[in-house]
Amino acid sequence: MSVVFDAVMLLLLIATAITVARARDLVAAVVKFGLYSLVLCLVWQHRGAPDVAITEAAVGAGVTSVLFLLTIAKTARSERR
Amino acid sequence: MRVFALALVLVVAATMVIGIAGLPPHGDPDGPVHTHVGARYLEQGVAETGLRNLVTAVLLVYRGFDTFLEVVVIFTALVAVLALPSATRQPPPSRDESAAASRRDTDDAVPVSPVVFLVVRLLAPFIAVFALASLYRGHVTPGGGFQSAAIIGAMMIALGLVFGREHAARLVPHGAKAWLQALGPLVFAVVALVGWRLTGAFLGFPADEAAHALREALVVILEVAIAVGGAVILAQLFMALDAPS
Amino acid sequence: MTLVGLDLDYVACVVLFCVGLYMLVAKSNLIKKVLGLNVMETAVFAFIVTSGMIDGGQEPIVVAGSAPPYTSPIPHAMVLTGIVVAVSVTAVALALIAQIHAHYGTIEVDELKELP
Repeated sequence: MSVVFDAVMLLLLIATAITVARARDLVAAVVKFGLYSLVLCLVWQHRGAPDVAITEAAVGAGVTSVLFLLTIAKTARSERR
Repeated sequence: MRVFALALVLVVAATMVIGIAGLPPHGDPDGPVHTHVGARYLEQGVAETGLRNLVTAVLLVYRGFDTFLEVVVIFTALVAVLALPSATRQPPPSRDESAAASRRDTDDAVPVSPVVFLVVRLLAPFIAVFALASLYRGHVTPGGGFQSAAIIGAMMIALGLVFGREHAARLVPHGAKAWLQALGPLVFAVVALVGWRLTGAFLGFPADEAAHALREALVVILEVAIAVGGAVILAQLFMALDAPS
Repeated sequence: MTLVGLDLDYVACVVLFCVGLYMLVAKSNLIKKVLGLNVMETAVFAFIVTSGMIDGGQEPIVVAGSAPPYTSPIPHAMVLTGIVVAVSVTAVALALIAQIHAHYGTIEVDELKELP
């Protein structure tokens, strides 16, 4: 059971990383990056690393995504090509 | 360009997979990660450091230099961000329609929804209490300095987003701002010198049983410094990047 | 779990690293490049934490109800430091991107290469 959960989480992780790569609207890319960070936090918890999970949850969605959104507000909204 | 990137990625992937094939399988109790220094930290960690959270013990006592230099790294990042005048420069006349479109996007930016406003205001005290509990109990439960810094920093960023720039700037007292940002490296340097005085080793902790209280006090001081310094630096990074263009 | 002699958890980390590397190299937008850098960093953290796991292990906190085997605490400490360094690098990179846009008006590498 744990192996199935592990495999599903890893596949979800790779799938969200690919959606981040394919997103053309940068705000959508940052939101998907927040989703990637959430899945990664669950992976940390499953691997027995609660300290890393707390830090990843707070930093991934709280700090990094907000910094990205602030920079996007000042620069471009979507990828050119 | 895309073909070159794909070829490069495939070469790197093949190299890494070949390297992985030579690694011992993870989870093996006889693997090198569990039998060298790690075994000693697990067996004697609680007795030598007095901390039950072994990750905190490794971070602050066994690998204290790494933590010291890492608070210096995030402080340097703050200095670099504050040194860039990107916040005060006016954007140039639009090169193309995308820049004008992005300005139009921010001109009719959506104001903060009352739902977000209420939820952030309701949750902020609980988040602060959770961060303080995580800091205070960081040596017996998952938690510690960095975790509290990340949680308090994220809370201050959320309050800054909701309340606006002028009110968010008051979260950190203005006169003490420079000292609070440098709190991590400064306190680490002071504790390192105290350790040098006590044990003869820079950032050393007294090892005998009688100095148990002093060791715990030093660890708590370090954790508080990491938490407060890290949180203020994260909030300040938000303020620096949020300044109007 | 292993398949044809390869540890699948490690292979997943390699795939994540390559997704991030592709974003870093192939995308022309600077913000996409920084996103790719973050994905690469998290892939390395996943690899490091996975290497510290142990069969039937639990989190390395020695309290009343826990018993060995514990997962090794050294990778957790390294990854915590790594997460803070990743935040630092991202913050400086984003400030530089804002500076580039304020100065040149664009953040696409193709257009920046054509500037005089």
